[in-house]
Amino acid sequence: MSAAPRQVVVTGIGLLSPLGDSAQEVHDALCAGRLGLRDADAAGLGPAGLPIGHLADPDWRRYLGDGNLRPLDRSSQLAASAAALALADAGWAAGDPGRDGIGLVLGTMFGSVHTITQFDRRAVVDGPAYAKPMDFANTVINAAAGQTAIWHGLRGVNATVSAGSLSGLQALAFGADLVRAGRCDALLAGGVEELCAETLLAFRRAGLLCGAEPDADARPRPLESGRTGFALAEGAAFLVLEEEAAAARRGAVALAEIRGHGAGLDPADGRDEESAIEAVAAAVGEALRSAAIGGSDLDALALSANGAIRGDAAEARGLERALDGKLAQLPATTSKAALGEAPGAAGALQCALLLTALRCRRLPGVAGLQALDPTLPPLDVRGESRTIAGRLALVSGHGLDGQSAALVLEVGS
Amino acid sequence: MVVTGFGLVTPLGCGSREIWDRLLAGECGTGPVRSFDAAPYGVDRGGEVPDFDPARYLRRLEPGSAGRASQLAAAAARLALEDAGLAADPVEPWRGGVARGTTSGEAREIERFNDELMAEGEDAAGSGFLDRYPCHLIPRHVAAEIGFLGPNLMIPAACAAGNYAVAWAFDTLRSGRADVMLAGGADCFSRITYAGFNRLGAVAPERCQPFDRGRKGMIPAEGAGVVVLETLERARRRGAHAYAEVAGYGLSCDAHHMTAAHPEGVGAARAMEEALEQSGLAASEVSYVSAHGTGTPTNDRLEAIAVRRTFGAAASSVPISSIKSMIGHTMGAASAIEAAVCALAVSDGRIPPTIHFEEPDPECPLDCVPNEAREIPVSAAMNNSYAFGGYNASVVFRRVP
Repeated sequence: MSAAPRQVVVTGIGLLSPLGDSAQEVHDALCAGRLGLRDADAAGLGPAGLPIGHLADPDWRRYLGDGNLRPLDRSSQLAASAAALALADAGWAAGDPGRDGIGLVLGTMFGSVHTITQFDRRAVVDGPAYAKPMDFANTVINAAAGQTAIWHGLRGVNATVSAGSLSGLQALAFGADLVRAGRCDALLAGGVEELCAETLLAFRRAGLLCGAEPDADARPRPLESGRTGFALAEGAAFLVLEEEAAAARRGAVALAEIRGHGAGLDPADGRDEESAIEAVAAAVGEALRSAAIGGSDLDALALSANGAIRGDAAEARGLERALDGKLAQLPATTSKAALGEAPGAAGALQCALLLTALRCRRLPGVAGLQALDPTLPPLDVRGESRTIAGRLALVSGHGLDGQSAALVLEVGS
Repeated sequence: MVVTGFGLVTPLGCGSREIWDRLLAGECGTGPVRSFDAAPYGVDRGGEVPDFDPARYLRRLEPGSAGRASQLAAAAARLALEDAGLAADPVEPWRGGVARGTTSGEAREIERFNDELMAEGEDAAGSGFLDRYPCHLIPRHVAAEIGFLGPNLMIPAACAAGNYAVAWAFDTLRSGRADVMLAGGADCFSRITYAGFNRLGAVAPERCQPFDRGRKGMIPAEGAGVVVLETLERARRRGAHAYAEVAGYGLSCDAHHMTAAHPEGVGAARAMEEALEQSGLAASEVSYVSAHGTGTPTNDRLEAIAVRRTFGAAASSVPISSIKSMIGHTMGAASAIEAAVCALAVSDGRIPPTIHFEEPDPECPLDCVPNEAREIPVSAAMNNSYAFGGYNASVVFRRVP
């Protein structure tokens, strides 16, 4: 008994980011060269001069309606809101047949460090009897996935995956595999990360952020020689993944197909460049093989380069190795100069934005790009947006600790 | 896909066969909490891994470089590798993968962060947090210890996480992306978890008594469990003992409440049914169920309803026991440890008991294998687990063909 292989298509996108709450809006803002960063001090989360990608006062009711928002912490609000937008974009309305069988796969690096620390602090300072039970429910790392399922009544398979800043890409890979294997006909896959004072402090302490030395001009400069680190950010993004025939049966438009994915482990955790380059090449190689295409078939590339000194270099060199001379001619971009690094959400945001770029036939530039680092392999990355053609796109994710993942998308004709 | 090895790090100690023997003997590993002063909580029982010394197990991973959950996880992986005979029969590094689950990850790193912050302020807090806290480091630490460079993923599915890890490992092997997978879960004992379950009124004052009419709650615990999964063909080729075959799994979400199960057990039953369907088995062919069985009044009552929904009249006759009566609730490790228990039940034809059982509860009309282990042929065993977020996960193990 061998049925035709199940194809996995994208039928909707929902996202929240510092530059807007729809893929089209963020795409347009990126094409216009806008930056979504603000000062940590203005957000009350850190020192002045530290740029962050923070959503200022989101109107959750706009996404979530009149329900009781109290049980939802920021991670859950972000995830449930992005899910609402994704379901609407895919044309899934409450009460539609099959809607309650939709699954959800959420990537997150931290869950909610803010909720966990607050819960613990209260128990330590005021005594265990004062710790809040409602907060405890949100201390588990799968809390946002559970809350989102409850909010939208999604009773299909539900999972959370955690893979650092690759969590969003890994969630999409995990979700695509579940649909392909027939576990689910439709699911939301993507990622979320909230920005809070606690994680911002931890990243500052690790010396990974730009603007660590107070500087009014501090901003992330991915792939440039003068890069000093990234801007920590928050956001959420879901793609609605469906089995192709099931999507067609309900009249949904397939925006793109998930063609393949891959992952590469760096045993040196980013401490050795060669090992990190190999991880990138392994991830991209596996993604291309599983998509049954070669590097020369690609039409566009979204890098995860965010301004990290070592990470950006390892990613570019790994891509050069995997793409076999094609990299220099492949139209490429990164959104992280404008959006910052939202670890758990990043990969899903990249996918949503690159897919949108291909459909609009316009690839955003890298905001504020001055000059590419000449020690990196030649890249076709520009400061301004430009027209592009073609259908096959590679999304590359290179983690903060040397790990890599990649995903191949094909937009519909 | 078959189970060829297991490693258990539990409140009853660390090992493989020796811990299984203790579970069959009905020993209890829970007792007064030792790692912090439990006086302010009003309850004081917990399940901690006694005198855990990571240096006894770890060969490559520097214990000081990793948090306690990682240490427990890596120790269990090392034990599992030895039990599977893979220490002497190495796996090609890129073909060995790690799937891990957890509820709270390295919760003690949050505690450390808070202690630094509260004692000395922001300037003293947060160093090392990124190198030790994020939960995806747990499978990375396991990979570093074992030298497996293949597929590596953390699936933080709370107290069903062990089953999720087994499920993903099963799919990863089936897709041909790895030859051997180490699947499991880990959590460390933490004041955060303790305070949380205490505030939910869920912690038992003395003992965990699943399915007993007088049950008073769960006992928070820590631990790690790992099962080694590989293809039957590979296991046969290298002459390894295969404890059981992984036949199938089912996952579902109640989408009902964060911390309470669905009152009619609909989601839990759906997970069981999906697992049976993939396994090609009828409920009547299951000879043993490892219960989630936390010992809280609500869990056990609703679990009985869900089992009845799936098993029908057979619900009162199929043996269904909870080893949480002996080791407490080891959170993300629980269903990984119980996966090993199911594989062993199939392999050995022995079922561990539910201890501390005194009085049947008419609301839990189940055969919970009270107090004494039982010897019966087990052709198929089902491992049930439920979690915060409304997660339901069931995995079926059966006799190797």
